[in-house]
Parts: sequence; C-alpha cells; structure tokens
Amino acid sequence: MKPVEAEGLVRTFGDVTAVAGIDLQVDEGEIFGFLGPNGAGKSTTVRMLVTLLRPTAGNARVAGFDVVKDADSVRRLIGVALQDAAIDPLMTGNELLRLQAVLHGLGHRRAANRSAELLERVGLTGAANRRVGTYSGGMRRRLDLALALIHRPAVLFLDEPTTGLDPTSRVAVWEEVRALNDDGTTVFLTTQYLEEADELAGRIAIIDGGVIVREGDPTVLKGRVGDPTLRVEVADNATIELARRVLGAFGDERPARDGRVAIGLRGGAPRLTEVVRALDEQGVPVAHFELDSPSLDDVFADATGRRLEGAET
Amino acid sequence: MTAVQSAQRAQSVSRNRPRLLVGLEQAWVLTVRSVFATVRKTDRWAPGLIFPLAMAAVYSSQFARTTGLPGFPEVDSFLQFILPATILQGIAFSASNAGTDMAADIETGFFDRLVVSPVARQSIFVGRVGGSAAAAGFQAGAHMAIFFLLGAPIESGPAGALALILISVVLSVGISGFGLAVALRTGSSEATQAMFPLFFMLVFVSSAFFPTELMKGWYQTAAENNPFSLVVNPTRQLVISGWSWGDLSAAVGYSLLIAVVSLGLAYGAYVQRLKRS
Repeated sequence: MKPVEAEGLVRTFGDVTAVAGIDLQVDEGEIFGFLGPNGAGKSTTVRMLVTLLRPTAGNARVAGFDVVKDADSVRRLIGVALQDAAIDPLMTGNELLRLQAVLHGLGHRRAANRSAELLERVGLTGAANRRVGTYSGGMRRRLDLALALIHRPAVLFLDEPTTGLDPTSRVAVWEEVRALNDDGTTVFLTTQYLEEADELAGRIAIIDGGVIVREGDPTVLKGRVGDPTLRVEVADNATIELARRVLGAFGDERPARDGRVAIGLRGGAPRLTEVVRALDEQGVPVAHFELDSPSLDDVFADATGRRLEGAET
Repeated sequence: MTAVQSAQRAQSVSRNRPRLLVGLEQAWVLTVRSVFATVRKTDRWAPGLIFPLAMAAVYSSQFARTTGLPGFPEVDSFLQFILPATILQGIAFSASNAGTDMAADIETGFFDRLVVSPVARQSIFVGRVGGSAAAAGFQAGAHMAIFFLLGAPIESGPAGALALILISVVLSVGISGFGLAVALRTGSSEATQAMFPLFFMLVFVSSAFFPTELMKGWYQTAAENNPFSLVVNPTRQLVISGWSWGDLSAAVGYSLLIAVVSLGLAYGAYVQRLKRS
C-alpha cells in the first residue's frame, strides 16, 4: 500500500479542465515534490487528495483509503497545511492547537500535552498565549505546520508552505519538514520554488496545464536534460541576433529572458574558451556570462518549452 | 509495521471514544471559538449592546406621553414597554455575526481547515449558531439589568427574566440561520452583511416600538403579520403583565418556528457547500 496513489485523476470546473487525468504514486517515508507554475493544477490536485474537492473522474487512495468513498478515514490520517495559512487571528496559538486537537477527537489531556509538545517543536512556546494576529508570517507558517501535525498524521500535505516567507523563515520551515520526514512522516509538498523542490524532495512530479510532464528523482531528471545551460547576456541589444547565431553553433537554444541567449552547451565546460573566442571574433559585446549544470528549471523547460515563473533564466 | 499502518492503529484508538461525546465536545469548542470572536473584538459586541440602548433612550423621551393614549397597554413607563424591542434589536445585531463570521471563515480558508479535519459536520454548524445564541443570551441579560436600574422592571420577576433570555437565545438562533444560509450559499461577507438591514426594517415594521392597536392602514396590517410581532407581543406580556405559561409558550414557539425555517435553509446551503467540495 502506497501512502498516496492516484489513477486518471481529473477535475473540471465548467469548461475548464484544471487536472487532466494524472497518475501519482508516493512511496512510504519520502518527500514528494509536486512542482509547477501558478495555475498548473497543483492545488486542485492536493484539494482532491485531501478530500476537499471531488474528482470529476479517476480515483485516488490516501493512507490506504479512497478519497471519495472513505473520506472520513482519509481525514483522520492526513495532516494538511493549505496554501494560505488560514488561522483565526483572534485566537492564541495554544487555543488553536487545542481546538485542532479536539477536532481530531483527542481528549483534553492528550490535547494539552500534544499542543505543548508541538509548540516547543516549532519554537512557539514563548508566543503560545499571544493572539495569532500578532504573529509574523514565518510564525504563522510554523503554527500552521504544528496544527497539521496535532494527530501524528501518516501523510502530511504541504501546499506551497513557504510562499511569501523571507529566506530565514523559509529555511526554518525546510528544516522542520526534513525533521518530520526523518521521523517517518511521508510528505507531499507542492511548490513553485525550484530550489525548495531540489532541497527537500527525494522524488518530484512536474505538472503543467493539468498534466504531469516529468516525474522521477530530481538528479536523474536533471541528468536527462543533458548539457549544461550557457546563458549569455549581451551588452548591446542590437547584437543579440548575432549572438544567437554564434551560440547556435555550440548547442540548441533554450528559453531565456529578454536580453539573454541560452543554449545547452554541447561538450560542457571544456568548450567555454571556444565560445568566448567565437563571440569575441564576431564582435559581440558580452555583459554577463554563466554556465549552470542542468536545474529543475531546465527540466521544466525541456518538458514544456517555457521557464517557470520567477525562475532564474 | 509501516508508518501508515501505525498511524491507522493510533487513529483507531481515538476513534473508540463515543461519537456523540466527541461531536458534542467539538460543537462546544467551536461555540467557545465563536464567543471568543465576539468578546475579543469590540465592534462585534458593542453595537448590539449600545445602539439598542441609545434607541431606547431616544424613543422613551420622544414617546413617553403616548402611554396615556387610549389603547396603549398599561405600563409603568414607555421604557418598560420597549424592553422587548431593545432586546430584539440587540439580537438582530449579534445574530448578524454568525453569518458574517461563517462567510469570513469561508473567505479566509478556515472553513476548509475545519472540513479537512474529521470533525462531525454538524458540529461546525452548531458551533456557529451556538456562539451567536450565547452572545444574544448575555446581551439580553445586560439589557434587562440596565432597564431594571433605570426603573423598568420585569413584572414576571426572575423567572420572567430567565424566560426572556430563553426567548432571546431561540430567536437569535432563528435570525442567525438566515445569515448562515446566505453566507454558506454565497461565501461572501459583503453579501451576508447586505441582508441585515432587512432585519432592522422588519423590527421597525412590527409591534416592537408601538402597539399595533394605535397604528393604521397597511402599516398596521404589516406589523400585525410580522413574525417579530408574534414573538414580541407575548414577550412584552411577560414584561408588563406578569408570569404566563401561555405567553412563554407563544414567544418560544414562534421563535422556534422562525428557527426551524431559517436553520432548514442554512443547513440545506451547508450540505450543498460540502457537496460542492
């Protein structure tokens, strides 16, 4: 039995198909990264898996139970932190945790003990009796994580857990996710941050337009893209077409933002000297020059012909 | 044993607690949350407490001498006459919180947090209604105490005061139900708030502030058939005439009828919303 299994999962909203028949399998004890741009179908998929949305077609089992036929059993076994940390600002952290504990059927004594334990774990003991409205974004996320863990779930769903957080808070959430996973919790993580998926996930699936376009070990997927990406930013925009022609001789063009040309450099780093010489000979003034090993963004670009929103190109 | 299997076993232990007990406990904590939401924000409780008192002060000054008109019931003062109106206005304010708070929960995603937990579905609903009812009960008690201090006693004594609190609680549930129905149907705080002026208009076009015997024309017909008048008239008898089981039964009965209708609408909208997800 896999913690998460889906077959042919479809969800439509009127004429719009948000998720167009996806298959998923998440293994016990792994962090599974579900990656894609805004509107790709990530949150819709998660909402189906956590029983918030009925699939239009297909089926899914989470923690061994069907998400439609046995939704209540699924809810008992999963922890969920949705995209926006929906936390009542008028309640204190401690009150919210105890409320969540009772919602999961824990008695008062167990609720009190577990709340104290989790507050300690996420570093909020000092703020436990403050109203959540006074918390920073990072503190709210950590509390959200604690709320999702109150009943020791078998599978934890984190829907873009670090969106909107500053870098320090983001790293704190990552550390907590890793620690949870080390304790044996299976984590289903959606994100639009490549770095996050790279840092945390043992396996990823990339979704675009409601379809999974790549799935597997990030290292293997990056290896399949092949050549490293060479990005050249020209100092004079008028020479960009010339730069494109010159670079075209060294590899296939890859998507890049305005003012830059990117190629998959055949032969890799050893050919850099040749490239620099060729650009110089043709009189292309170079402002910036970088060579990257294939990234998840390259994997996404390889699969879709586009770059992920906000990704460095 | 895998982590999923051990979690399944752990969950089955908590599942062994009686479902009714767990459901009641969940309804209770959600009610407490609603009460906290009211108590912790001044703009939630102050209007329902203060505005009706201000209205009572204005009306009792303006219409003090009308108590001598033929057809006006025998009362100690106009203030005593409008105690039920003040309580009713307060209920209209506090009951509006149930709908707007539910809509806010839907808008912020807190509703999803509740729904994605294994909470008994009825408890979410009961928690919202319960919070509003508790607030209405406290508010009615405060209004009666202030009126008593101002020389407007309840002729049916402490039992009558308790009866008025009971009526307030039931009627609050009834009015809350309409707000909840709109909130659950639309998921919008604005739409929910927009319907509450209707209740204030209904309060004014009723026997709350003046006896229907002294009205005329369409206004009298509307006031006599206004559901609020059906609740206010027997409630007022408990205030100005003394204890009567009949008046108590009528006030609670009509309030219950309003509650059955509104909660029916709200529960239908609730089930629809859960199905939509």
